[in-house]
Amino acid sequence: MNAGLNNLKHIVVLMMENRSFDHMLGGLSLVREGGKQKYPGINGLTGNESNPDAQGNIVKVQPNAKFQGQLDPDPDHHFPGVDLQIFGVPPGPGRVANMQGFVKDYFQQTNDVRRSHNIMYYFTPDQLPVLSTLATQFAVFNGWFSSIPGPTICNRAFAHYGTSFGQVGMDIFYILDPIPSIYERMIQAGHTAKIYYYDQQSSTMEIVNLLKNQPQLFATYPQFIADCERVALPDYSFIEPCYNDHTGDGGGEILASDQHPDHNVQEGEKFIARIYNAIRTNPALWETTALLIVYDEHGGIYDHVVPPQCEPDGYSAKPADTGTGEAFNFDRLGIRVPAILVSPYIPKGTVVPGPEDPTKGRSFEQASIPATVTNFFLSGDVKRTIREKNANTFLDLLSDQKRPDADIPYFNVKG
Amino acid sequence: MPRPSNAIDVPDPERGSFNPNRPPGLLLQAQALHMREALLKHLEELAFVLAIDPKSLKTEGDVSAYIHRATAVLHTHVPRPRRM
Repeated sequence: MNAGLNNLKHIVVLMMENRSFDHMLGGLSLVREGGKQKYPGINGLTGNESNPDAQGNIVKVQPNAKFQGQLDPDPDHHFPGVDLQIFGVPPGPGRVANMQGFVKDYFQQTNDVRRSHNIMYYFTPDQLPVLSTLATQFAVFNGWFSSIPGPTICNRAFAHYGTSFGQVGMDIFYILDPIPSIYERMIQAGHTAKIYYYDQQSSTMEIVNLLKNQPQLFATYPQFIADCERVALPDYSFIEPCYNDHTGDGGGEILASDQHPDHNVQEGEKFIARIYNAIRTNPALWETTALLIVYDEHGGIYDHVVPPQCEPDGYSAKPADTGTGEAFNFDRLGIRVPAILVSPYIPKGTVVPGPEDPTKGRSFEQASIPATVTNFFLSGDVKRTIREKNANTFLDLLSDQKRPDADIPYFNVKG
Repeated sequence: MPRPSNAIDVPDPERGSFNPNRPPGLLLQAQALHMREALLKHLEELAFVLAIDPKSLKTEGDVSAYIHRATAVLHTHVPRPRRM
């Protein structure tokens, strides 16, 4: 093993909500320096990507994304809506995935042609100093996809279990097969693992199975900060942002930091920065931790990369459950999301090629999370789906060389 | 660790961004439904414990088993004992 892997003791995953790769990071490809692309490897936007609107007009991507107030109503990201976004037409013979249905789908919600164009808007890198800095300073994935072309709960299930047990929606699901969560696997093997939710008003999105039956797995964000300060992080940590605006126990205003539309994107930037800083500012932790920042799904917002086929996980969702009139066999990934791996052992400016590179490209998804944690910490025969067993893992990105401290960014966050 | 001088400033959201009166989206509505489902287990557990008459407990062992169950209902982070 190289030095990066030899020193690795903690894997931390921060999962944000509902933003696509192009919406958050696609603008990096349009940054120019000295007459050339500054970040040529990143598979972002050219500025010419487009979708037709309900009147047949061509709507190009535009750098007009706002932090809040623009994506209300919440863009559709349930299975039938995402199906239309990907294929541009309803299910039928001969259709091809072309990413041409985003504006059409948002029009169905807004019934307003002008507002339906908002779904094509993206942020410029200077609007998102935290995400853009981390993406360009560490490793950014060109091909990290949500696991299912559908909403939050089933996609987050892939991060916890490596499968959604056949679910493609937000319904309550139960673990029918003996596939333990990544936390149960770790604890059964004598390792430590925790899910840190923000506070009790926000709580977790893994409720019915883990919160109900294994409350000892959970802690809060203040505990995460305290565990960082004491260098007492578990081997594996999963962090959930704040999912709603609420009044804190002390009476203060607590903004949602999950970045789910229409929550404030800047508050999410602050949250990402705080998690990063908590690790970055503790030398003992910084050297021994890999932090993955990833979004659960795209939230109905435009991305130009066609989701690839994937290994089926042995489940099938019935037509009545998908809402498209067709069954879904979990053989295609959902839409691309931002994903960044942070460690002092990652060379600056690493870009992990995705489907745009037919020889070296790799596709990742939420099942890559339990796959990576399992492969690194556990040995022996762990019960898991074929989908997870075959998922790409990401710790090979850690190198032998630790970067000098002066080379590593730090964020000033108020409050 | 001293804060580096080349640190990157992270802007605050605009004042007035806080809006707890925003209608909940489908995700938060689903989260509340899932919470309710999870609570039913506690209701069942609470009903089980409340069905036991403390005056019927004959031994220290009976009392300790009852207190164990009651404490576990109140302190949910502690694993529950198996039902006898």
